[in-house]
Amino acid sequence: MTKKTSITLTRRGALGLVGAAGATLMAPNLLGKPAFAQTEGAPEGRVIVGLVQEPTVFNPLMVKIEVDDGVHFSLFDALFRFTPEGEVVPNLATEVPTQANGGISEDGTEWRVKLRDDVKWHDGKPFTAEDVKFTLELIVNPDFRAWRTAGHAFVRDITVVSPTELTWRMEEPFSPYLSFLTETFIIPKHAFEGVEDPNSAPFNQSPIGTGAFKWDRRLAGDRVELVANADYHGEGPYLEQLVFKYIPDITVHFTQFRSGDIDLLGRMYITPDNYEEAKTLPDRTLMLQPAPSIETIALNLERPQFKELAVREALYAAIDKQAIIDAIYYGVPSSVENYVPRSSYYYYADLPLHEYSPDKANALLDEAGWKRGAGGIREKDGVRLSFKNSTTSGNHLREQMQQFVQQMLQQVGVEMTIENMPAAVMWGDFWMQSRFDTAVVGITFLIGSDPDVTNRFHSKAITAQGGSGSNNWQIKNARIDELLEKGTRIFDPAERKAIYDEVQQIVRHELPYLPLFAENYIHGRKSEIEGFEPNGNTRTESWNAASWYWVS
Amino acid sequence: MLPFLLNRLWQSFILLIIVSIIGFTILNLIPGGPLSQYALDPGMTAADLERLKEQMGLNRPLPIQYLDWAWRMLHGDWGTSYRDGAPVTEVIGRHIFATFILMGSSMAISIAIGTWIGIRGATHRYSLFDYTATVGAMVALSIPTFWFGLVSIYIFALKLGWFPAGNMYTIGDETVLGYLHHLILPSLVLSLVHVAVWSRYMRTATLDVIHQDFVKTARAKGVREKRVLMKHVVGNALLPMITLAGMQLPQLLSGALVTETVFTWPGMGRLFLDSLSYSDYPVVMGLLMLSAILTLLGNLIADIVVSMVDPRIRLA
Amino acid sequence: MTALSATPHSRRRERWWRSRTARRFMQHKLALVGAVIIVALALACIFGPWLLPHDSLQIDIRARFSPPFSGDHYLGTDPLGRDLAARLLEAGRISLLVGLFAMLLSTFVGALVGVVAGYRGGWIGSVLMRLVDAFLAFPSIFLVLALAAVLKPSPAVITVIIALTSWMEVSRIVEAEVRSLREREFVLAGKMLGLSGSHMMFREVLPNAMGPIIVAATLTVARAILTEAYVSFLGYGIQPPLPSWGNMLNGAQQYLETAPWLAIVPGIAITLAVTGFNFIGDGLRDALDVRSEGG
Repeated sequence: MTKKTSITLTRRGALGLVGAAGATLMAPNLLGKPAFAQTEGAPEGRVIVGLVQEPTVFNPLMVKIEVDDGVHFSLFDALFRFTPEGEVVPNLATEVPTQANGGISEDGTEWRVKLRDDVKWHDGKPFTAEDVKFTLELIVNPDFRAWRTAGHAFVRDITVVSPTELTWRMEEPFSPYLSFLTETFIIPKHAFEGVEDPNSAPFNQSPIGTGAFKWDRRLAGDRVELVANADYHGEGPYLEQLVFKYIPDITVHFTQFRSGDIDLLGRMYITPDNYEEAKTLPDRTLMLQPAPSIETIALNLERPQFKELAVREALYAAIDKQAIIDAIYYGVPSSVENYVPRSSYYYYADLPLHEYSPDKANALLDEAGWKRGAGGIREKDGVRLSFKNSTTSGNHLREQMQQFVQQMLQQVGVEMTIENMPAAVMWGDFWMQSRFDTAVVGITFLIGSDPDVTNRFHSKAITAQGGSGSNNWQIKNARIDELLEKGTRIFDPAERKAIYDEVQQIVRHELPYLPLFAENYIHGRKSEIEGFEPNGNTRTESWNAASWYWVS
Repeated sequence: MLPFLLNRLWQSFILLIIVSIIGFTILNLIPGGPLSQYALDPGMTAADLERLKEQMGLNRPLPIQYLDWAWRMLHGDWGTSYRDGAPVTEVIGRHIFATFILMGSSMAISIAIGTWIGIRGATHRYSLFDYTATVGAMVALSIPTFWFGLVSIYIFALKLGWFPAGNMYTIGDETVLGYLHHLILPSLVLSLVHVAVWSRYMRTATLDVIHQDFVKTARAKGVREKRVLMKHVVGNALLPMITLAGMQLPQLLSGALVTETVFTWPGMGRLFLDSLSYSDYPVVMGLLMLSAILTLLGNLIADIVVSMVDPRIRLA
Repeated sequence: MTALSATPHSRRRERWWRSRTARRFMQHKLALVGAVIIVALALACIFGPWLLPHDSLQIDIRARFSPPFSGDHYLGTDPLGRDLAARLLEAGRISLLVGLFAMLLSTFVGALVGVVAGYRGGWIGSVLMRLVDAFLAFPSIFLVLALAAVLKPSPAVITVIIALTSWMEVSRIVEAEVRSLREREFVLAGKMLGLSGSHMMFREVLPNAMGPIIVAATLTVARAILTEAYVSFLGYGIQPPLPSWGNMLNGAQQYLETAPWLAIVPGIAITLAVTGFNFIGDGLRDALDVRSEGG
């Protein structure tokens, strides 16, 4: 019997941080919870995960990109983990510190974390609080090529109280830190003893973790192979082998999934143009997952064309978002009005909805005094309503969208020229120093699923104006600044939600970027793989490979 | 001979320095840089990026960076890949095999076919065969290889299903046969151009030899035509072909670049494109130097061979 | 490196122009075919867009992926529903112009460097020729891609970049030619008459090297069109929505199964144009009595 492809849409709206506990309808047993009706006995089978970028960084603290995360989640553990419902649960720790349970002091600066006592490194040595201390200290070591240091930089006086307990002080209260710690994998102190330069430690090429899988080997330029860790402290693993295979071409990526060479598709998953065909494949299961990133047209607010809100509103009204989604992206993405993913507890659902109306766009521009001039292009006070639009070259769907938008804008007297560049050029100073007019960019706003967006909207986060951050559209709004500063000092989720709801409303009103849609990742796997569950609060599909198993 | 060699080596060394300076300058003129791939990471602040720049020595003045690179290079240290963290030589080493297999097999095919077409064209000058080969070669040289690859994929992989559409092997089926199956289409596609070049050169070389005295003498002595052809003509005509082979050495790197892209072949062409788009300078510079060295080596070999074949030319 | 540049000449000195009438005839027939192809293509690209019912930039999402000969889309449509025939001809304008101007520029630069190096000789000549050697030691695709990443790839910039990577051959040809002409009587006579160096170089010596330059130039057009196609195919070249034959192929691989005409049509145009110029070049080589580089 051939099964047809089954399709599931995971929609986890606002389940919330607090009420998430009951939502284990299909969540396969997180950490410590007993497996349901699953294999007894030794791990068996192999899953090959296909990736279009090559994982090359195996020290999880070093600067890395998304594809590296899949390997890290399988090899390592962090103190805490995010469930797909957005709940933070303990992993190497025994409980999540809160102000209520005393893990975090009333003023939010003293942290106390208790650790499991039954965890062993892959080389058999016991895991202790010393390893956590070492990890947190290595991240801020000025000679170490660390990945994100945000939050870690506030940590002071790390004290090991006992092998299973440590405390530290935060320079200032910083509530997002808990989320950041879910992406901070703990590495073994003993692997760095006698190592002079942590950037070139042998560990970086043959890592030792506490995770469900152990390092086996890497065939560079081709694949990484991991094997089951029989002594894993949590649930699983049920697979004997986990392979991450690098396929440098998105078309071949899908072809190999179709032919069965790949068991499960990792980033970039199935592209929308292959969705229809994928649905017809026998014995494959597809799953749509709202992606954490939002596709936007970023506007550089310091350009004279975009200073007026009326212009930004007119541009937004002139773009037929639904046509873009339906025609170019095959109806797969969902239209959104702002940056918080729908899977987040902090998603604010009542923002005004976009309305496609060239008439309204024309009226707005006429009213604001932008008159049609030479070639039908509007102008006002010597400024032509003409600008460049840039993005990474070679992204075909995006390039099609650009040309589509170009035509729609032309109809309301706006000239948009396209100037795309290779990724390294596009996202270098050109983007960071706000040298673009407009850019098509997919952005993940939330760091580790925390709602704090200081980095994106605070007036001190404008790099081009001497700040530090990624407020590349250069929005300056006193109320936003005030809200953001308040938000990181409060730990209570409900209180924080009120703050970030207002931020979302202001940003939607100000339109520093035109929100187009939220991608939906189309996950594909062989139907016999069970235990797979997408998690919008991590950057990888392989966050719970420990729970995967074959049914046969 | 020795003074000539030394002189040539010295000249080549100077050339390599010029090439490396030009290459290094152009690369560093490319806006952006190796860190821009992290710029969209929500947690990476400008301060983080600045710190990484400092740690990787990217904010030093350009001449200093160049001298540092060149000094290490002179000591045999090709640097470390930004993207991979592994030594450049190792990174290149991993990809060289795939390119070598592809170029090697395509060269073998085209030398065999090209030699045959060339000799036959020369011995049957102005025949229908000769004309067809001449025109065919010119058309073959005019077809964009990558497009020919696309069309072949469409016909032989997608429509007829004879060959896989790309990649070097299928996971789980890493047998010799599996490799061969994947190799056939791209190497045939690459052969198209090479057959054209080889057959043209072979034809002229054979014509050159046919009219030389020793061939005429052999014929006059009553040696059978086939034997004359095999022993005297082909042997002598093939010698200058070594020159051509030498000249084509650098193609090992650049020749298959676009074909590798079309067939998602994990060779050096792909490595070059990937490294360029991530601004992985050490790898790009490594590939550039390797290619330049191969070019100069190819020229040198060509000169030496020519001087041995043709005593009129003295190496001075 | 002088030893090398001298060798092919002496090795091939007595070859192509010894051909019999039949061969010449055939060559000229080929050249004729080439000329017809190029003229036809040029006319189509110049006037064609006005005769077609659709504009090359007109997007019609409902008509996307129409196969060739469907309705009045003679060659079908692309993923945005734009008319492929109109885009092909529009692209032809750009690709042919890029090829043509790249040739003019590279021939000019190449000839200039060659004449100066060959006529002056000495340290100037040797520095210039070392520069030529250095550029030749680059894999040209490296130079083109890296430069395209540095500069914003408009058609003009791509033209300059292609020219920058293809002037060396002309330099070598001209340098060798000029060096051999330098000692000939009419030049020596001119010197005795007190004519200035630049006058001698450009009025007297250069015209005598015109044959090989013209042949090299024709082949440069062919190569420039191919290079543009390669670079744009890889996404580093001319950017959409401006069509070029190369960037029309960029992305076509994705639709190879569903819309193969997207890949097939522009490729045929490129092949035709390049073949045309190669045929002409080959014919000219015979007609102008120029020794060959073998191809």
